[in-house]
Amino acid sequence: MPNGSPVSIVMIEDDEGHARLIERNIRRAGVSNEVLAFQSGTTAVEYLLGPDGSGEVSANRHLLILLDLNLPDMSGVDILEKVKSNANTRRIPVIVLTTTDDEREVKRCYDLGANVYITKPVNYEGFANAIRQLGLFLSVIQVPPAD
Amino acid sequence: MPTRAPRIIRDSFILLTAGGVVLLGVVSGSIWLANGARASADRVQLSQQTRSHAYRLQGLAQDAETGQRGYLLTGRDSYLQPFLDAQRDLPGELAALDAALNAEGRDGEMDKAAALVRAKFAELDDTLELVRSGDRAAALAIVNSDRGRTLMDSVRAETDKIIDSSDRRVEAASRDLQDNARIQAVVSVAGGVVVVIFVAFAGWSALRYTRDLLRARGEIEALNRELEARVAARTTDLVRANDEIQRFAYIVSHDLRAPLVNVMGFTSELEEGLGAVRRFVTAPANERKGALKDDAEVAVEEDMPEALDFIRSSTRKMDRLINAILKISREGGRVLTPEDIDLGPLVEGQFQALGHQFEALGAVFHVDGELPTVVSDRLALEQVFGNLLDNAVKYLDPKRPGRVEVSARDLGSRVEVSVEDNGRGIAPQDFNRIFELFRRSGAQDRPGEGIGLAHVRTLVRRLGGEISVDSRLNHGATFRVVLPKTLSTFYAESPNA
Repeated sequence: MPNGSPVSIVMIEDDEGHARLIERNIRRAGVSNEVLAFQSGTTAVEYLLGPDGSGEVSANRHLLILLDLNLPDMSGVDILEKVKSNANTRRIPVIVLTTTDDEREVKRCYDLGANVYITKPVNYEGFANAIRQLGLFLSVIQVPPAD
Repeated sequence: MPTRAPRIIRDSFILLTAGGVVLLGVVSGSIWLANGARASADRVQLSQQTRSHAYRLQGLAQDAETGQRGYLLTGRDSYLQPFLDAQRDLPGELAALDAALNAEGRDGEMDKAAALVRAKFAELDDTLELVRSGDRAAALAIVNSDRGRTLMDSVRAETDKIIDSSDRRVEAASRDLQDNARIQAVVSVAGGVVVVIFVAFAGWSALRYTRDLLRARGEIEALNRELEARVAARTTDLVRANDEIQRFAYIVSHDLRAPLVNVMGFTSELEEGLGAVRRFVTAPANERKGALKDDAEVAVEEDMPEALDFIRSSTRKMDRLINAILKISREGGRVLTPEDIDLGPLVEGQFQALGHQFEALGAVFHVDGELPTVVSDRLALEQVFGNLLDNAVKYLDPKRPGRVEVSARDLGSRVEVSVEDNGRGIAPQDFNRIFELFRRSGAQDRPGEGIGLAHVRTLVRRLGGEISVDSRLNHGATFRVVLPKTLSTFYAESPNA
């Protein structure tokens, strides 16, 4: 990535298989950044905002979030809202990656501050292709530096 | 009720006809009685005429005698005038009395009186002839013979007879008139009473009919309102069921697709690995080294086993999901059998099944007061309260002594049963999500598929009830189940039937 900054990709995806496939396809696109996989919203929120929920733990982190909306324990929209309403985490780019293409949901995510909204194609070839393009996108995206 | 409308028409016709007959009777009776009254009045008039004629005849005889006496005493012609007048009027007066008696049908009654009067007048005439001829002594001798006086007494007696008889006839006719008037009064009053009775009866049946109509209209209105309410309730149910089916279809398609994408993805990864192995195997023996050999080794040692693991776990997951969907679908199709159920022992039984879990955690179970009796499906209620108690004990907070309490509230035709715990609680934004299939809330540190509450809500709704949750995160949760006291067969019908 530009500046050579060590950006970590926070991947919030409940399905372990999906997570592995996403990581592999990102790697194939030439992205070598660290990928932190979280299988539940609870653990991801705890990582992002800290156990106290203040978000100070992320103040000096260099992150990018890949977010699935359908999680078993909490809605991805709730995570998005938490991240974007916290002063320490609101600049972190969030890429929503989900199967839903409901217009209202897309709009709502952008309203809440999502940076990119990607619909997972239903077939695997489409899925893999989208992930590879996402990988290319990740390799050029500019992540804001930590304060 | 439908027979009453023709009956009122028939009754009205009968009453009108009867009233008409009575009125006709009263009118014709009155005409007949009036005729009788007129006849009686005629009889009175005739008898009075007869009486006055008889009286006048008596008067003529007396006038004639008076004139004779005066003439005999004085010999002057002026005293003779009354006799002459009487003699002149006599034939007319006799004819008039005869006519009056004939009109009354009393023919022959005056024969004797007429003969006596004529004899009297003849006797008077004889004496007067003797005086005119100068034989005054002979005339006085006739008078002295008392023949004239006897004749006069007889005339008076005979005419008095006619007068008395007439008086009796007047009296009888007057009595007839009075009787007639009395009968007339009785007939009028009786007819009036009968008509009043008929009118009262007609009024009463019209009133009864109107009351029936009003009651029937009230019943129809009530039925209408009930029907409208039932249609509205049914529509709400259908809209809710439709929303639920759409949501269910979305969840099922998403949750089934996720492992399917994994199966396809890792199949593709398997192919990649197979390609690396094939390239290594098909390469000439002297070239089987370096990157070619490393790739093949990574494929065989790491990538391909990992892919196989994911394929296996994904197919297992699909199998579990399909089984869960089948379970809910079968539950939805089961025929409910309503019976009397005392919720106290039922909830106690579900607690007993979880007894060892409560014991292991040192948690307390308490039923607050009496639980009500409902008419519902036993198996469904066992599953509802079994699941709720299971969840309550499963998500207790280890930081404080666990406590699960069940209580009930009467809501009229429905009852509300609450299952309250002091466990970890649920975030407000998840109050709806937890009832959806495959969705769970909070930390995923307990086993579960996200099926229990979805199943409970499906069951409660089939029982005609509703379930809701209220919770404070980290303080506990209260699940409220509202059930109808009596499960209507409307809900008991199988949706597949």
